[in-house]
Amino acid sequence: MWKHLKYLLISFIIILIQTQLIPLISLKGINPDLLTIWIVYIALQKGQMQSTIWGFIIGLLFDFIVGNFIGLSALSKTITGFFAGYFYSENKAQMILGSYRFIIIVLITSFIHNSVYFVVFTFGTEISIIKAIFQIGLATTFYTAAIALLPMFFFYRKSLF
Amino acid sequence: MFKEYLLLAVFIIASITLLNYNNNLQIRAIRSYTVGLIGFVQNTLSIIPNIFELKRDNEVLRQLAVNLSDEVNRLREARVENINLRAMLGLKERAPYKLTSAEIVGKTMHLLRNTITLNIGEEDGVRQDMPIINEIGLVGKIIATSKHYSIGQILYNKDFHATTKIQRTRIDGIIAWEGGENLLLTNIPKTEDVRVGDVVITSEYSKIYPPEIKVGVIASITERPGELFKRVDVVPSVDFSSLEHVFVITSVPDTEKISLEGKILKKK
Repeated sequence: MWKHLKYLLISFIIILIQTQLIPLISLKGINPDLLTIWIVYIALQKGQMQSTIWGFIIGLLFDFIVGNFIGLSALSKTITGFFAGYFYSENKAQMILGSYRFIIIVLITSFIHNSVYFVVFTFGTEISIIKAIFQIGLATTFYTAAIALLPMFFFYRKSLF
Repeated sequence: MFKEYLLLAVFIIASITLLNYNNNLQIRAIRSYTVGLIGFVQNTLSIIPNIFELKRDNEVLRQLAVNLSDEVNRLREARVENINLRAMLGLKERAPYKLTSAEIVGKTMHLLRNTITLNIGEEDGVRQDMPIINEIGLVGKIIATSKHYSIGQILYNKDFHATTKIQRTRIDGIIAWEGGENLLLTNIPKTEDVRVGDVVITSEYSKIYPPEIKVGVIASITERPGELFKRVDVVPSVDFSSLEHVFVITSVPDTEKISLEGKILKKK
């Protein structure tokens, strides 16, 4: 129970950072997605079932806090949690989190997330699907993966002690 | 693993439901695209014949065909009836008599004394010996009545006799039926001018039938040696086999004339 509350609290804090601080480091309108990194972390720690549930909860929470396009983050982050769950390996979470594999997993899941998110977000607008996926989506994916280096180093250093 | 997929499906459905509550440009475009896609898929799938649907369609069409066929038959029947009734109406306008229309509800054609049963009776003013006609000519006379029905003696009846005349030459004769398809016109002397094709009509001498009603057309004339009269075969004008509607002349006959003629006959 406490663990769930802890996850909920951390999710809330990350959402606040995502909405309040991340725009400050925006590069040409491209923002890294901390929530995706957080969901990948949950997937590696808890498995596919938990990451799918938390993906939905975090996405829904984000949708209601931002108040724009309700359901879109819930959809994309549920899918992210589900696919991230495939990389779960029992007793190897710390090792994966502190290695380049974490970055690769973030890259893959972030690309899936951004593909879903930006295809829906730009549907019916002047931005084409190709541009949505391979320009905005891919740029966001790489930016997110770059930010994911920070927790990777953190867990790498942690594993040394 | 099944649980994870189920969970994913539930959350995706929940997310799409929430997305559907948005009313922005993107969701409107997705709705429009989805409707188009569903229409395309349905249109594509409609090419594949659905056996059950075809069977149901076939049954419906068969039922429709039966109903339409029945309706066509009823319309044909109504058309024939309409033609007959129009012709009869024309006769009614021409005839100076009081006519009561009747439908034939019973008929015999192969006996020695053939009759027709009419759906009108005493309540309609029908009495014995009243003549029966149709738009073509003479049909017969009433021989029995009840409250709502009456029996008519037709020309194909051994008891039928009528005073007639040949329309062209006004020669009198007596017409009767002795079996077969034709009537027999008797009392025509060999010296009289009678030709095949002459029209035979009722005479004013008849006590039952009004004058000038067509009875038939002469079909053949036979002269036998040693006999004074010609044998004249007459084809009735009325086609009794297809007869369905008739008129009964319900006018009261000239009783004064009949009464006077009766007195003279008694004296003789």
